[in-house]
Amino acid sequence: MNNVAHQAPSAALTAIAQTKARKDRLDRWRIYAMRLAFFASLIGLWHALVWLEVWDEMIFPSLPQVTETLWLGMSDQSLPAAIAISMQRLLIGYGLALCIGIPLGLLLGRVRWLNETVGMLAMGLQALPSICWLPLAVLWFGLGESAMIFVVVMGALMALTLATRDGVKNMPPLYMRAAHVLGASGWRLYVHVMLPATLPAVLTGAKLGWSFAWRSLMAAELLLVGVGLGSLLERGRELHDMSLVVAVMVVIMFVGLMTDRWLFSRLEQRFVHRRWGTSA
Amino acid sequence: MPKVEINGVSQVFWSQSGAVQALAETSLSIDEGEFVCIVGPSGCGKSTLLNLVAGLAKPDTGHVIANGKPVTGPGPDRVVMFQESGLFPWLNVLQNVMFGLKMAGVPEPERRERAEKLLHMVHLSRFTQAWVHELSGGMKQRVALARALAPNPDILLMDEPFAALDAQTRDMLHDELEDLWASTRKTIIFVTHNVREAVRLGTRVIVMTARPGRVKSIYDIDLPRPRHIEDVGLVKIAATIRDDLRGEVLQATHEEGID
Repeated sequence: MNNVAHQAPSAALTAIAQTKARKDRLDRWRIYAMRLAFFASLIGLWHALVWLEVWDEMIFPSLPQVTETLWLGMSDQSLPAAIAISMQRLLIGYGLALCIGIPLGLLLGRVRWLNETVGMLAMGLQALPSICWLPLAVLWFGLGESAMIFVVVMGALMALTLATRDGVKNMPPLYMRAAHVLGASGWRLYVHVMLPATLPAVLTGAKLGWSFAWRSLMAAELLLVGVGLGSLLERGRELHDMSLVVAVMVVIMFVGLMTDRWLFSRLEQRFVHRRWGTSA
Repeated sequence: MPKVEINGVSQVFWSQSGAVQALAETSLSIDEGEFVCIVGPSGCGKSTLLNLVAGLAKPDTGHVIANGKPVTGPGPDRVVMFQESGLFPWLNVLQNVMFGLKMAGVPEPERRERAEKLLHMVHLSRFTQAWVHELSGGMKQRVALARALAPNPDILLMDEPFAALDAQTRDMLHDELEDLWASTRKTIIFVTHNVREAVRLGTRVIVMTARPGRVKSIYDIDLPRPRHIEDVGLVKIAATIRDDLRGEVLQATHEEGID
């Protein structure tokens, strides 16, 4: 707790506290070690499968091959360029979905007739894989960026909207009563009460939306010719270059993991766990 | 002119067993600076009555006049303090207290200063940056009190605010509330099911009947202040009121099918 004046504990108690802190540090290293061991054995298993020649090298590339492909892709800029273009589509589409989904979700949670109509439509669309929009999107927007971004938006939007709506519905009514009494009304209720109160749900929806956005984008890039990680996968398939396929898969997983650790986890830690007192 | 005038308000709602009258036509007039405590059996509509004064609900008949104006909705002149603190977990203690001032458009330096002063008054100066989940129940209610006082309402509505606290904390908060009332002379309407608490705090104690609730009897409490919850005179009056209430409680439990 902040700003609390503590009385200094005795030397014996301090020693106990130090032991506890040391144990915590040790636990943390143990977790790192465990993680390292797990991934090392995964790589070991991979090697074993290659060495035993369970599958032909052509269809089951080895780690050195994949590493070489990654290295080559990095040095000739093809991989960074693909990552950049995919990220750009993703960020535009996901950003649009955030801008539409969160306000829409708040409204659906609060305005009943809207929820009974638009909410139902959103539920239906949620069941529809967003790649189903691709044929129409291509006709509407042409064979290009806009069509792909549209598919990404449709992929992330429903998860975001519905998570936000459910967050509003599960919000303790006392918050709204207290806010009313303290003079909040109109848009201020949305900005100063409903949005922050539903932040835990919104963040869950944002994570879900992010992974849906990725899936939709990869599907769209696989189907439409162009530049991007999905297109690189497709090229790997055409050239029968399986180490390229695996390399792209590794890159996608890596980006996903990093986004979760460096963005979503941090946001959750800072804006949800620390404030609500929920565990990390 | 009375500070709060409750004129023949009543409220009904529909339940599975048909229409239920939560509150029978009730009239009550409260003067400026009064500390009115309302006691009654559970379900007698005392919280409903408070909500009507707060403007959080609309009466089905009658009307409420506060500060000379009919109540049509919540207003910064009538702030409610609830049984659960209702503090916002996404804001720290200071930001919670500043919330009402922010809604009123008070500029940042001034609202910080006023909030800090109020937190000092409720003895929480060292906890301004703490998150709500880090506070004990008593501390939460202190913050809630500071938050309710921040917009400087002249009517304070309290809905069993200390019911969930332990006895020691409650005694302490009674002292603090009494001091606050003595120094600010705010008009307070305090709903409770604890008769001794009502006698400990109030200038008047209103006893309500079982559902449908209406005013059964009114007691003026002339005991000297500061009072203590175990004062002999206080305990005696509380016993009289409890006898008065007993029949209503029996009827209420009978209706709830608990007898």
